[in-house]
Amino acid sequence: MRRDGYPEQNPRAAWRVYEGEAVIVSPEDSTLHTLNPVGTLIWEAADGRTALAAIVTRVCEAFEVDPATAARDAAAFVDQLSSRGLLMVLDAPRPAA
Amino acid sequence: MRSAAVRDVTVEIAGVRTAFVTAPAEVAAVVSQRYAGFLSLAPAHWRFETGLRPGGLVPLEDVVVRSGGGPNRLVVERHDFLATLDLAARAGTLALGVVDPVTIDTFLRVAYSLALLEAGGLLVHAASLGRGPRAWLFPGRSGSGKTTLARLSPDATLLSDEISIVRLEAGGARVHGSPFWGELARAGANAAVPLVAIHFLRHADRHAAIPLMPRQTLAALLPNVLFFAAEPALVARVFDVAAGLVERVPCFTLGFRPEASVWEAIEHAA
Repeated sequence: MRRDGYPEQNPRAAWRVYEGEAVIVSPEDSTLHTLNPVGTLIWEAADGRTALAAIVTRVCEAFEVDPATAARDAAAFVDQLSSRGLLMVLDAPRPAA
Repeated sequence: MRSAAVRDVTVEIAGVRTAFVTAPAEVAAVVSQRYAGFLSLAPAHWRFETGLRPGGLVPLEDVVVRSGGGPNRLVVERHDFLATLDLAARAGTLALGVVDPVTIDTFLRVAYSLALLEAGGLLVHAASLGRGPRAWLFPGRSGSGKTTLARLSPDATLLSDEISIVRLEAGGARVHGSPFWGELARAGANAAVPLVAIHFLRHADRHAAIPLMPRQTLAALLPNVLFFAAEPALVARVFDVAAGLVERVPCFTLGFRPEASVWEAIEHAA
């Protein structure tokens, strides 16, 4: 489980956010995933240009959670979504288009 | 040059016209009879060169949709037919292992689940009923009460008792009459009626329509969408159309007893 890198959404995943919670359909197996508000924040920030550490800072600002816990949970969450083909973690930020 | 024996029979469903271009007279006859009320003389949007499958029936249980070896090309196969679809060209081939209404109906359900997608349309496992200028959609698996509700509504316009067709339009959606029937064995009226609400049916002791949020509705609706292809771009398009639907139309769970008074709850909700 890596705590660095730049998470990026799978561009083939279709998604919407309703009432602060993301609903995502997996491009690999058509499974529907629903994220809680924290997960939704991470998902929406996963643009391939924002470091995971910066995303964790946003989580701490938006929710009452200590940085160590947020970092651990965010890394686990990114790992989980990566294993489902919804996210990739880039080693370097993707250049702006 | 085409042989004089080749026939064109065009079916129009939800505004999308599909021509069967076929030499065997029996194919044209079965299509004409099965889709009476949905036939058209206008130019077709889609064309399928239709013939007989040399091998007849093959041992294959379910519908299989696979890539056809190029972008926008799909192969659809079942024990009783083999079809190719070019989504960009809106054309394909259909080889029938047996010429009967069930085979052609199964193929058309798959074909329309793809053809309607680009037009913002979905096939939904649902009953749909109209009353004047308003229509309601009632998704649900077998046994949820779709046919029961249709039977309780003799004064309503039956749009479908089993496979309903919905198309998005500016600011809303419309339910189109469907020839894809279920237990009632009766085609829906060939009409297009504005959709005012979606009710997910469940049997209950009393009538009650409980509002659903879009997120809940999307999760409930998607399993009822008829779609057979696994290509990510097509799946994403299904998701987008379904999301557009739940964002435009109020949705409810509808608990109901098998009594016609359920319409008071339906009409009161939306």
